[in-house]
Amino acid sequence: MSRRRFPWDRLGIDETSDTGAIRKAYANALRATNVDEDIAGYADLRRARDQALWLAAQSQRADEEDSGDLGLGDLGDDHDAEAEDADWLDDDYDDDLWDVGSSAYHPDPFAPAPDPALSEGQERAKAAWQALTGILYPEGAVSDDAVTLAEMEDGLAALDALIARADEADIAEHDALDGALADLFARTWPRSAPFVEPGNAAFHWMGEDGSIEERPALMFLNQRLKGMRFHNKVQQPGHPLHKAWTELSRPGTAGIVDRLKVKRLDVHKLITGIRDRYPELESHLAPERVASWDPKPDAGASSLGPRVVRGIVIMLVIVAVPRMLSQCTETSDDGVNPAIALSDSAVDAKVAEMFGPGMDMKTVTAEDPKLARELLVAVNRPEIVQPVNLLRLKAIGSAEVADRGALEARAELKAIWLTAAQAKSAQTCRMAINGDLRALTLDLDKKDRAREQTLLRQLLAAKVLSHLPKGGETRYSIPGWLVGDTLERSGLSKGRLTAALTDPESADRCKAETALAQAVTAAPKKVPDEVLRGL
Amino acid sequence: MLVGIDLGTTNSAVALWRDGAPQLVPNALGKELTPSAVSVAKGGQTWVGEAALDRMATHPRDTATSFKRMIGTASTVTLAGTTLTPEDLSAMVLRSLADDVEAATGERPTEAVITVPAYFNERQRRATRRAGEIAGLEVRRLINEPTAAALAFGLADRGDREPFLVFDLGGGTFDVSIVEMFDGIVEVRASAGDNRLGGDDFDEVLVKLVEPILDGRELLESLPADQRRALLNLAAERTRRALSSAEQAEFRIAVGDTPVTATVTTEAFEEAAAGLVKRLRDPVIRALRDCHIDVKTLSDIVLVGGATRMPVVRKALTRMFGRFPNATVHPDHAVALGAAIQAGLLSGGEGLEEIRITDVAPFTLGVGTATRDAHGRFHEDIFAPIIERNTPVPVSRMEQFCTLADNQKQVTFAIYQGEARDVKKNVKLGELTVPVPPRPAGEVAVDVRFTYDTSGLLDVDVSVPANGTSRNLVIVDEEDRRSQKDVTESRKRLDKLKVHPRDEAENVAMMARAERAYEGFTGSAREVIGQGLTDFKGALEKQDPRIIADAREGLGRLIDEIDAHSPL
Repeated sequence: MSRRRFPWDRLGIDETSDTGAIRKAYANALRATNVDEDIAGYADLRRARDQALWLAAQSQRADEEDSGDLGLGDLGDDHDAEAEDADWLDDDYDDDLWDVGSSAYHPDPFAPAPDPALSEGQERAKAAWQALTGILYPEGAVSDDAVTLAEMEDGLAALDALIARADEADIAEHDALDGALADLFARTWPRSAPFVEPGNAAFHWMGEDGSIEERPALMFLNQRLKGMRFHNKVQQPGHPLHKAWTELSRPGTAGIVDRLKVKRLDVHKLITGIRDRYPELESHLAPERVASWDPKPDAGASSLGPRVVRGIVIMLVIVAVPRMLSQCTETSDDGVNPAIALSDSAVDAKVAEMFGPGMDMKTVTAEDPKLARELLVAVNRPEIVQPVNLLRLKAIGSAEVADRGALEARAELKAIWLTAAQAKSAQTCRMAINGDLRALTLDLDKKDRAREQTLLRQLLAAKVLSHLPKGGETRYSIPGWLVGDTLERSGLSKGRLTAALTDPESADRCKAETALAQAVTAAPKKVPDEVLRGL
Repeated sequence: MLVGIDLGTTNSAVALWRDGAPQLVPNALGKELTPSAVSVAKGGQTWVGEAALDRMATHPRDTATSFKRMIGTASTVTLAGTTLTPEDLSAMVLRSLADDVEAATGERPTEAVITVPAYFNERQRRATRRAGEIAGLEVRRLINEPTAAALAFGLADRGDREPFLVFDLGGGTFDVSIVEMFDGIVEVRASAGDNRLGGDDFDEVLVKLVEPILDGRELLESLPADQRRALLNLAAERTRRALSSAEQAEFRIAVGDTPVTATVTTEAFEEAAAGLVKRLRDPVIRALRDCHIDVKTLSDIVLVGGATRMPVVRKALTRMFGRFPNATVHPDHAVALGAAIQAGLLSGGEGLEEIRITDVAPFTLGVGTATRDAHGRFHEDIFAPIIERNTPVPVSRMEQFCTLADNQKQVTFAIYQGEARDVKKNVKLGELTVPVPPRPAGEVAVDVRFTYDTSGLLDVDVSVPANGTSRNLVIVDEEDRRSQKDVTESRKRLDKLKVHPRDEAENVAMMARAERAYEGFTGSAREVIGQGLTDFKGALEKQDPRIIADAREGLGRLIDEIDAHSPL
């Protein structure tokens, strides 16, 4: 007898596709196990049984395919394995959910089972479904236009018919309709807006709000629902932010008198809150008015949160410099630009100042020719950007392409700069936080200076400094231990730390950001990549 | 001796594994169901069961029912000056059931298997266990009610069964379990539920429905609020039962000599209960989703719990499952019988050698953590699941956590049960603090092991392997810390209350019933009952068992007759 392997050894039987034999073997093994005493053994046995049943199902399917004489042999097996894997995924999960443009029509819930004998109720529901999708996808495509009054009435009637069907249908059909409608509304938002609340009333979508297993479509819809409810409430005079809302809805910019009438804090709260939670509501506000209140005019009427404003600033700075530089370089290539006047030795001295002793333009060119070209211009045209500042900007922007080692080096650099900036002045610190290192002079001591050079050399060797960053939004979460360390280092209370990281105007922001960078640098090995990248 | 007890919201029952089968033990009144009701009079005289329920109408302030709905919370009730916790009240019911077993077998039970709703959380389970201890019973196992019912159903013929669904709608809780049976192994695949939904809620809907249309409601409003409430609830339950067999029923309360009535039609009741009926659907969907089973492949729908008798629920069920549910198990007895089977399994009862049962954890269990989003904001109290719901139990899972700060001296874990991402919306089970050696941040790892046993009770072990030593702690819960002292105190408190001697139970119950009937009727019917009551009291004074028995039977017949030919 050949030696058996898991799961068959655990079950004590030879490999088989007979599910009855597998279950019987499991039953016998279970009877021989005291599950309360041997918890691990029980878990192992369950796993063995589940795996054996799965393998049996696999081989059965393969047999069926063979008997179907598709001639696919092993290929068929592979295909099956994939299909099976997909079965393990959440059925409701849909990769294309946000890709509204890719598929105009969501699959019809009645299509998967083309039952020739649809009941009368199902026929009616099918017609209602077609009517509703027709309204939500005008001319067969996604549209951002709101529905007309007539369309809304027709749509609501169709939705009512579908809900009535769901109420009389069995639980499987009810569930299918629930999922299909949630999906449809998520895909066709904002056109679907008037239908979401009635859908929620029938299927209790909000009941899933905030649950671990909230379906992706509902995660989206529930947030929109809360947005609509907030919109209704904020328009009531009793709402605490009502005044701020009214102010921001008026056209024109805010004058001195307007500013006296509304609390600045409320306006701020409203703008941040909306951008953070219900970005769709910003379209109800007057952009000009919002801009006049907005603390960061260059952010404009962006619909993104305050931290992302910072992201945009970084992007602009970084994109602007290379563009200028490349123009310069082109002209110099033509030999028209007389600006390149420094001798090679002077350039090398500058390079050594940046990267540390022993480094010169030749070594930099060998490592990263593209960066060398940009540096050369910066060395010659310090009025555009100081060479060391160009390097710092480049280092910040390297996050998008850097590997683990480079990311850690970058984080340490950031900690050094923020610490120095914090020591200098609040203004310097704010600029450093915003990634605006273009015109910043940081007074690094000798030790930090040497460390900076080492780290920059590391980044140079990693060839990430010539990267042209795209900017944009990144998402990341910070592990609990890091949060705790940041609290400790900043000496802030939890509440103030949160506020400092939420409100770009907060007085504690500098302290908080610096503490975070220091906390990361203290134990960089433990910090997840995403955090290092987002720092 | 080990017994199986169904400690229900409305009714409780006790059963034994004897002669290769589960058997219900009748109470002193010869009934298999004992109402979960307790009534206390000044001086500490106590009634449990039928008699207590009858005192609800006459002494609503001194009577407690549906206390299972409060178990696991800090709320208490004060009956005739005695403050009692829901555990105390449950313990009194358990004690009376133990008395019944002792009377039937001559042996006092010392251990019990007690059933709890599958969707009972950790706190509610611990409180139930404590109630057993107060009643002097060692709780060998807590078993989920639908699981018990599945055992009773599955063992009826011992055949293999494809997955079937147990739909358990009791007086106060609602559970759904999907179970399959193969070769003697009863396997619960998934459970879901709503521990705040039951027959009581339907009564409440009925009260809300009739209150505005009651004829003579001004009179009702003159009564004290708690008495009005009690009368309305009692009448609602009667009406709900009547509606199970008729198209319309009279909702009737007597206030003094005047009847206050309203007519309720099935249609109106169904409409009013539509919201509750909808809430039945969600747990069913969740359970089916969790075990990836199509509703069409279910081999049976098994109904358990008194509230499943309601036509409005049956109708909804038929619609939900596209077929008629199975009504072969007794909805009121199945859970207690299943508990007795479990008791038989634990004590190696004959005929159960081949049977094994496996259950699942109905909730997700985990700890609170902190994260940061794309905008750099901190989000604390994010739920990090360690044991996911519907994992087979017993189960033991370990996660590793690291220290937050340099030279940190201790680590605190908050333990939660629930399905929300935000831990604040979950049930906090307790907090656990463990000392760690002072080291730089993140260098000390702490292993957290969650062990969830077959009774659905959680053990949390925390160990710090960093310095070579490892310490194991048990979950520190405010309630737990008090529990041992509490149990002793509760016992003392209950010992002060005087329960009627068992051989008087029938007389006590008859008195309470007659008094309730006296309050409930008017005019000549009331006079007749009043006369009967006086006669019965006279017979009791003679202290001759034969005379008393005759008088009791006579009074019982009289009330039966009046009930049957109600002038209203």
